[in-house]
Amino acid sequence: MTPDHARAEAAPGDQDGARPLDAARLPDAARDRTGLPHRERPSPPDPSMSPGPDRDRPPARAGDRLPDPARDRAGRPERERSSPPAPGVGSLDRDKLFSARLHAVRVRPYLATALFALHVVESRSVPTMAVDRHWRCYVSPAFVARTPVEELAGVWVHEVSHLLRDHHTRGDRVARERGLTGPGERLRMNIAADCEINDDVYGDGLARPEGAVDPASLMLRDGELMEDYLRQFRLGPRTQDLAWLDCGSGADGLERAWDLGPDGAHGLSSQERDAVRFRVAQGITGRPGSAPDSWQRWAEEAFHPPQPWRELLGAAVRSAASGPGAGEDYTYGRLSRRSASVPGAVLPSLRRRPPHVCVVIDTSASVSDAELGSALLEVAAISRAVGGRPDLVSVVSCDAAAGGVHRVCRAEGIPLVGGGGTDLREGFATALRARPRPDVVVALTDGQTPWPSTRPPCRTVVGLFPRFPRSRGRSRGEDAPEYTPDTPPAWARVVEIGAGARGR
Amino acid sequence: MPASTLPSSPSASQLDVAADLLALLRDTTTEPRPDPQLEALTLAVAADLPVLLWGEPGIGKTAALTQLAAELDLPLTTVIASVHEPSDFSGLPVVGDDPAEQGVPMAPPDWAVRLVRAGRGLLFLDELSTAPPAVQAALLRLVLERRVGALRLPPGVRIVAAANPRSSAADGWELSAPLANRFVHLQWAHDHEVVVRGLGGTWPRATLPRLDPEKLAGAVDFARRAVHGLLSGRPALVHRLPSGEARRGGAWPSPRSWEMTQSLVAFATAAGSSREVLSMLVRGTVGDGPGLELLACVDRMDLPDPELLLADPARAELPERGDLRQAALDAVVEAVRTRPDRSRWDAAWALLVRALETGAPDLVVVPASTLASLRQEDWDVPATIERLSGVVTLSHRADRAAARTTAIAEKQKARR
Repeated sequence: MTPDHARAEAAPGDQDGARPLDAARLPDAARDRTGLPHRERPSPPDPSMSPGPDRDRPPARAGDRLPDPARDRAGRPERERSSPPAPGVGSLDRDKLFSARLHAVRVRPYLATALFALHVVESRSVPTMAVDRHWRCYVSPAFVARTPVEELAGVWVHEVSHLLRDHHTRGDRVARERGLTGPGERLRMNIAADCEINDDVYGDGLARPEGAVDPASLMLRDGELMEDYLRQFRLGPRTQDLAWLDCGSGADGLERAWDLGPDGAHGLSSQERDAVRFRVAQGITGRPGSAPDSWQRWAEEAFHPPQPWRELLGAAVRSAASGPGAGEDYTYGRLSRRSASVPGAVLPSLRRRPPHVCVVIDTSASVSDAELGSALLEVAAISRAVGGRPDLVSVVSCDAAAGGVHRVCRAEGIPLVGGGGTDLREGFATALRARPRPDVVVALTDGQTPWPSTRPPCRTVVGLFPRFPRSRGRSRGEDAPEYTPDTPPAWARVVEIGAGARGR
Repeated sequence: MPASTLPSSPSASQLDVAADLLALLRDTTTEPRPDPQLEALTLAVAADLPVLLWGEPGIGKTAALTQLAAELDLPLTTVIASVHEPSDFSGLPVVGDDPAEQGVPMAPPDWAVRLVRAGRGLLFLDELSTAPPAVQAALLRLVLERRVGALRLPPGVRIVAAANPRSSAADGWELSAPLANRFVHLQWAHDHEVVVRGLGGTWPRATLPRLDPEKLAGAVDFARRAVHGLLSGRPALVHRLPSGEARRGGAWPSPRSWEMTQSLVAFATAAGSSREVLSMLVRGTVGDGPGLELLACVDRMDLPDPELLLADPARAELPERGDLRQAALDAVVEAVRTRPDRSRWDAAWALLVRALETGAPDLVVVPASTLASLRQEDWDVPATIERLSGVVTLSHRADRAAARTTAIAEKQKARR
């Protein structure tokens, strides 16, 4: 290892290819050692359990690597704890574990901050690997010993995904909202959360760990959220094999015996957790294209979860309907009730002027009946709640031409005619011609229409049924480059309808 | 002793008995418990910024304000906006003898007169969101300009408003973007654990932050560095109007709200508050995204200075948390790159060895490879590098795992 030697190795030219640390660019002193057998082995005093260099491990051994469920159910975790430790089984093979993390960081660079922020805690009570809500990662030494590096990398990413997707908070929320109690329900949450992660996290350089549960194995569809999966299966024969599954309190919110708790060392405060999640999200949105769709979507929504569209639409309609000129407000047009008692003072009085709401409905072929039905019912209910009597709500159905103006007296019985292309300009014109003139126009549409070029002389709320390109990446049928639907104009308040179903 | 007196006076009115029962119900104890949201509220009030508490009805906003007023030793005036008329806040026009000569005075309500006379106090405007729009408009003038009719509230009066979230507001309460920008928005939530324990007889007693006179100058300096550091690198963050229905009526960044943020950072620093509290304040003033970026910036200011690390690698204190540690190591390598020099290069290697000995080895891999690439012709390899051999092993191991994964994936593809 002369200086000459080293210089030759570290030629400036290969800096650029510089992905990992490889021996070519580390000075010889280090490289010479790499060939030594004792370096190849996991460094802890192991040998009996860990079968030496993992590249030599025959793939056929895969069978006994990961929980044969029956065996795990029977024995874990007590067995691991109580059986006299085989010589060397005890300590955690940190080198193997961290090699796996390095591999995970290389194939998923945008998760590096999150992966590095995890604090490893060796634990014999954990069946495999588990996380808690304070971003500690509990690792079973035996699991590390029996799992190949590439699968460990998959487990790293899986566990950190639980934390990034905030599964514990969501689990707690679902448990409160739906009254789900007991360990069985938390196991279901864990399985549902795993489904949410596993359907698209592996592949592209990341191996799928043995026994990872996915929606298909429960006869469910891919690409849904934990909350949705939770409604679709029960514990039963199909999930029998999953009873061993335990990703810790970070996955489902239920405290485990091994958790170090909020006061333990190396936990992240909720502010730090947010900061880490934010940095990961920023890394993903800052470099679009490098992360798959599912992570892009996560990053978009991590700090701006889509709000329930019902509430948003309600707020928009209420706000439009109760603005100046409509609804309940003060007026000097008539004497106040208080006037008699305060002689000399000029007082406004409270007066109510219920708003006229006109709903323009896009009945072109591209909007489904179910979508229309749900949104229309909603608007009718909201406008009644605002103080409008049902007879103040009218409906115009509109495809390429607008139909007549219909008063709504009951929620049912609203005639919706149409089915062709769309031109909402007609609908707006018809709505504004109505007498009395509406105070609020609510347009329900998928947005694939020309819009009026000028602002209508009343408040406008647009309920937009989301279409591509923000739809779920995989089914982009009309993604042709020349196709650009008009976006709703800036003067309208736009609420995306149906997006809230994917709330976090 | 209510129990012994009861039998002797059977006719003692039922109301006395009721009073005894009420006294027993009110007999609760308190326990100290940190309360970040109350702490954030206290700091924002101390910084004399208009605060808007967003919270569902009935979750203890008024109770918190009562506690805050007691702690700050300010008399509390609660005004329920929804039962007032606009003229209660903008002043009642009282027609006098000769309006052309004397004008029409706008008479203020009694509570405002009392507040002005006292010179100090905490004014709590509750139920802002259930008031009709004209009342809300009058109230905003009160909050932002501190004027009630012809009176101007003295500087010793602090104002806090409360509103229900849009989703649960019965009327169309909504802040326009310019108004939203003037408030510190604090989300008020109840901790169900606290409530359950409180109903069991023990309510929390928050210890409120105290500003440390020693730290004032340092706090201002810190706040200026943080905000300046962020905005000089990200000019796009200085002003960004909120877009989209979901973000309407919330906090957003503008020069005004950044100035508010700066004073909040200074107050939080002078009070030695936790990051939790700072986070609530900052995100409530400039919004989530810019707020989190500012917090990340503050985190980076906490990282050890790379030059100090290079100066004494043997005793360097590296951050414990993995992601911060890697950021620190990257900064060190970057410092060597910008001013390459033999001794600095050696010091950086020593630092990497120290990092390897005190933490996870995979963090060292990328900085080490970058550092190796910075080597110049005549630099000898330092002896300490031998200690990094484990890192090379680790790296190889990951490489092999990658190769196996690719091989398996290709095999599967071929099978299909």
